Amino acid sequence: MTTADTQPRRTSPRVVLVHTATFRQARQLVPVLIPVAAVVGLDDGLLTVVVMAVVITALSLAGAVLSWWRFGYADGPTAVVVTRGLLARSVRTVPNDRIRGVEVETPPLHRLLGLVRVRIDAAAGSVGTNEEELVVDGVPRAEGDRLRARLLSRRPAGVPAPDGEPGGGTDGGAPPVEEELSRFQPRWLLYAPLVGSYLVVPLAAIGTLFRLVQELPDAVVPDFAGPEPSPPVLVAALVAAVPLLALTAVVGAAVVNWRYRLVRRGGSLVAVRGLLTRRHTELEVDRIRGGTLSEGLGMRWVRAARVNALVTGLGQANRRGQLLPLGPRAEALRLLGRLVEYPGPLTGHPPAALRRRLVRALAAGLLVTAAGVWAAAVLGWWWVPVAGVVLSVLGVPMGIGRFHALGHGAGPRSFSVRSGWLVREQAVLQRRAVVGWQVQQSVFQRRAGLATVVACVGAGSGGYAAVDMAAAEVPVFTAAASSGTWAGTLAPH
Amino acid sequence: MTADATAPVRDPAWPLSRSAINLWVTEGVIGALFWVVVVTAVLVFVPDGGLPSPLRWALVAFVVLEAVVTIGIRPWVRYRVHRWEVTGEAVYTLTGWLTRTWTLVPISRIQTVDVTRGVLQQLFGLATVAVLTASSQGTVRVLHLEADVAQRVADDLARRAELVRDEAT
Repeated sequence: MTTADTQPRRTSPRVVLVHTATFRQARQLVPVLIPVAAVVGLDDGLLTVVVMAVVITALSLAGAVLSWWRFGYADGPTAVVVTRGLLARSVRTVPNDRIRGVEVETPPLHRLLGLVRVRIDAAAGSVGTNEEELVVDGVPRAEGDRLRARLLSRRPAGVPAPDGEPGGGTDGGAPPVEEELSRFQPRWLLYAPLVGSYLVVPLAAIGTLFRLVQELPDAVVPDFAGPEPSPPVLVAALVAAVPLLALTAVVGAAVVNWRYRLVRRGGSLVAVRGLLTRRHTELEVDRIRGGTLSEGLGMRWVRAARVNALVTGLGQANRRGQLLPLGPRAEALRLLGRLVEYPGPLTGHPPAALRRRLVRALAAGLLVTAAGVWAAAVLGWWWVPVAGVVLSVLGVPMGIGRFHALGHGAGPRSFSVRSGWLVREQAVLQRRAVVGWQVQQSVFQRRAGLATVVACVGAGSGGYAAVDMAAAEVPVFTAAASSGTWAGTLAPH
Repeated sequence: MTADATAPVRDPAWPLSRSAINLWVTEGVIGALFWVVVVTAVLVFVPDGGLPSPLRWALVAFVVLEAVVTIGIRPWVRYRVHRWEVTGEAVYTLTGWLTRTWTLVPISRIQTVDVTRGVLQQLFGLATVAVLTASSQGTVRVLHLEADVAQRVADDLARRAELVRDEAT
């Protein structure tokens, strides 16, 4: 592959193997094949399954070859051009100065064949979608590194990827400017069972398994029809499921965050992680405007937290901006302090905000109770009012918890807002991050002397709200939390 | 109403064009006609036994109430609430009728300025100026200005944003 820089390049032919094995192109055919199989009326036999497997593999191979053949990319002096498409050719050109980040990832099969996948993020704003991403799938490792170094041209070219392989032999040759900010401790994995997102993964896997079993022809599925399980057996199964769930959460967290490392190298933060798929993300320090500290209900209990960086123009910010996937709160605060100066203690919100939180938390429960009384009287459904009462009782701690999460504060160079109960999120932002203020006041808020203030930011979710702060504090806070004098426009005469 | 003691921030100085009231009334009439058609269809085509008579009256009451609010009340309340202002440093609007929203965007952070004219707006000679920033939530919309005013405001803002633009993110 010794072509000039402007000449279109091809990905490695070895990627055809990867795509055949993972059915990358053939996956789109599955919804077509199932009805076809149904119409043709294949009998449920082992032969059917074998034939289907062979046909799908052949289609997969054909699809992989075609898309490899029709795919080309070129990193010219001013723009990256990616050409693809079987019948309709699509040519996408992304100017180099629009490139926000380059991610090099190595899924297990790619690693086996010495390939990497390069994702080029060219988001124009904070409303990033997959549309704004270029993927060059299946180039040799060295070519991937060359591409990354070249596209992020602010850095010197030829910098090796840090800790590229799990063997980690490149540490000695790393440039001296590199500074390690954080390293994942294996004992942090013990937090995983208390984190919602890691618990969801095994549940989703079970769901997929069930769907797969349902889609297979009946003859292949062994017959489980035994006697109906008795209640004690069900209870025992549930009790056994809890540690199993916890274990899978830990394993899931380990797979995703294996050997996580965050280093600062020159003008960028580099995060590397993953056991099977090695993922390598670079964020430009100049674009970082702050960070969020998220603590779920279970995480607060063991004082764990996660940290995300808020980076302007970063697509898929939730995944890419992650700086500490899971760790102790103290470590999280230390890391957040490196991103942005902590503005000091937060101010709580007035008691009227507590009343509003309680009313909202109780409303659903009381409504169910009221409907339940009617249902119990007319239909004899006694469990509906009981559920309503339970919901209402649970609403009280939830309302109080939501109230205590509320807070805002402004320091000399930064400000912070916090809210949420199930997942409490505190955003700490530089004052220069604010591109606008939005103040909202409903009829009820007006009567209670409250208002919600949203700091509009060109990073993360686009806006961070201080919910139900005292109306009189709004002009003071907005002036203190934005750079320059423009926010003074809000001040009452 | 505008000099409310519980208002969190000051109100922008300028009202919208008075034609905005006519536009909102027209919108209300169209909406009310839609509901009249729907409810009439329900009353005519659902047989007598299919719908209890209190529900029929509730439907009629809903249509009348909706028409009164959206034609007779909401346009005037909205007109009294909605205000806008362009200061030396920022664009500032107040919108809403029950829930009020004040939005302030500094001129230095403006990325694009759009002028749009809907079908009804063209009928009344009105236009909307939308000021966009890097944040998906930091968009200011000045609804229903006279078309020539809107164009002048947009041109002025775009020119000034070019002059004072800092890092625009």
